Amino acid sequence: MTPPSERIARVWHIGLLRAASLLVPRSQRAEWWHEWHSELWHVRHDCAPIGSFSLRGEAEVTAFCLGAFQDALYLKRHSFESRAPSSTLRGSATQCVLFLAAMLAACYALALLLPGVRAERSLAPIRMGPGLVLIQDAASSDDSSPSILPKQFRAWKERKQQYFDGFAFYRVTQEPVRRESVSNASDEKSKWGIAHSSENLFALLGLPVQFPEQDAGTYGDIPGVILSERKWKQEFQANPRVAGMVLHLGPGRARIAGVVPDGSRGLPGKVDAWLLEPDEKTLAGGAGFVIAHLTAMGRSEMYAAKVRITELNPDNSEGNLLGISLDPLTPGIWALFSFALVLAILALPAITSVSLGECSESSERALRSRTLYRWVFLSAKIALLLPIVYFSSLDLAYANTALSASSSAYVQLVSTFSICLFSLRWVLQDQRQRCPVCLRRVCNPAHVGQASRTFLAWNGTELMCMGGHTLLHVPGLPTSWFSTQRWLYLDTSWGFLFAASGSAIKSETISGLTPT
Amino acid sequence: MAREPRFVEAKLSHTAALILQALDAGFIYGFSIMEMAGLPSGTVYPAMRRLERDELIRSQWERQSIADAEQRPPRKYYKLTPAGRATLEASRKRYPLLERLIPSEEAKPV
Repeated sequence: MTPPSERIARVWHIGLLRAASLLVPRSQRAEWWHEWHSELWHVRHDCAPIGSFSLRGEAEVTAFCLGAFQDALYLKRHSFESRAPSSTLRGSATQCVLFLAAMLAACYALALLLPGVRAERSLAPIRMGPGLVLIQDAASSDDSSPSILPKQFRAWKERKQQYFDGFAFYRVTQEPVRRESVSNASDEKSKWGIAHSSENLFALLGLPVQFPEQDAGTYGDIPGVILSERKWKQEFQANPRVAGMVLHLGPGRARIAGVVPDGSRGLPGKVDAWLLEPDEKTLAGGAGFVIAHLTAMGRSEMYAAKVRITELNPDNSEGNLLGISLDPLTPGIWALFSFALVLAILALPAITSVSLGECSESSERALRSRTLYRWVFLSAKIALLLPIVYFSSLDLAYANTALSASSSAYVQLVSTFSICLFSLRWVLQDQRQRCPVCLRRVCNPAHVGQASRTFLAWNGTELMCMGGHTLLHVPGLPTSWFSTQRWLYLDTSWGFLFAASGSAIKSETISGLTPT
Repeated sequence: MAREPRFVEAKLSHTAALILQALDAGFIYGFSIMEMAGLPSGTVYPAMRRLERDELIRSQWERQSIADAEQRPPRKYYKLTPAGRATLEASRKRYPLLERLIPSEEAKPV
């Protein structure tokens, strides 16, 4: 029977090996454990045989087991080295493009995830047309409450207008709504904000109606109702085949004639659906809102977002009205991006040289294909960078949905400008530090010379292409005889320096140095 | 693709040369090499991993039936490759005492 001291020692040694095995990469762990466990048996057999417990023997076995940690660490380190990007990829143009592509994917994914950005992007292409005004009674203190009577609207429409070439009227009522297909037993009527509106409303607003019904004639005289995008998503789970369904709106019925994008959200009144009716029905109720489209003359008179309009009544009395512009107060995200991009390009020469530093090339080296390759790489970097700037600035500006539209626009403008400016600076600096032959980034900077000897000798930084093609000389203090960086092409005799990296110089046309 | 074996004598450390010599002398598993070279396990096993990675030695598990017959766990045996033998020859020129430290005739029968 094994004495308890020996049993404890065995457990201790096995525990040490188990602990060490955790450091070994999973793929090698089983075999590693097998080998060490087997060796432990033999070590115990030699140093601490069963029944002859000695502290010295156990200490030798412990020392053997402790060596397993070094072995495990070696395997772990070696595994990391083999997983590290290969030396051919490090600093290469491919790595740079892959990095930018990954950044673009991350920024785009974030833009898809953030609800504020999603909403803003979906809204971007859908805005109401220009030259629209909301006409309100000047006496009304609240823009969001209806103040125009149907008879006023009828009078304006019938009269020839100088400043307006189209009018539409709508009034909002809360009405119970039920789907016809839903059985009465499970029927749950909910109240929607229904806008009884002129039939020409969406044509006047310039908003496209989505998923329009194909054959409106089959429904007879049932009026059409246009759902708001929000209600469509909420009640119909964004079903694109919603057109043609019949709804019970209050006492009457209406067929769904399409969905209107949320671009209509600038209009006053909380509207869930727009019931398009002839004027006789629309104007049968109380006060409502009037949207008017300005003529060229009318636009020239819109000197502010709100202008005072004088109405001449048939009895020659004057009424005071307000014309409130419905044009968006903030430019679209594309307009902001383009503006900030132009600003950044204009500001770029102020923070870095726009030269690519391609100088003193021998004609043989400056092969056309290589030049083309360099330009393609530069274009690819810029092409990847612009969408990164676009999406990252949107992420920053619209991540916080509590911000007002103007604040978000400001954040977008500033972030686009800043990111764009410094990204373009990085693009140029990166391009200047890439070997013209292989586009690998030069590395191993070495300072050469002393600043105090600038007038007698050269001083600056020397960088090396690890492919062994070139040396880059960057002057520490630009002088009239050495103002910009210079490339020095290395000949094949320098190959021995780079042989270990597996990237010896190809036999190419030679200019310049031989090693001394 | 197999890596090209390294024949570069200058890169072989004294420890590695000692392990190659021990293997050549017939000490073909980790613990016996430790005992013969007088090196700790934390030095010998990582060195053998490097030599195996560089294809100077290769390993093979003992057959289970042999181990079962002797009532012990199977061992992992190591063997010189032709590249390893060539490297060892070069190392012997560099370290003339290598053969005297571990003479081939001391090898234990396996």
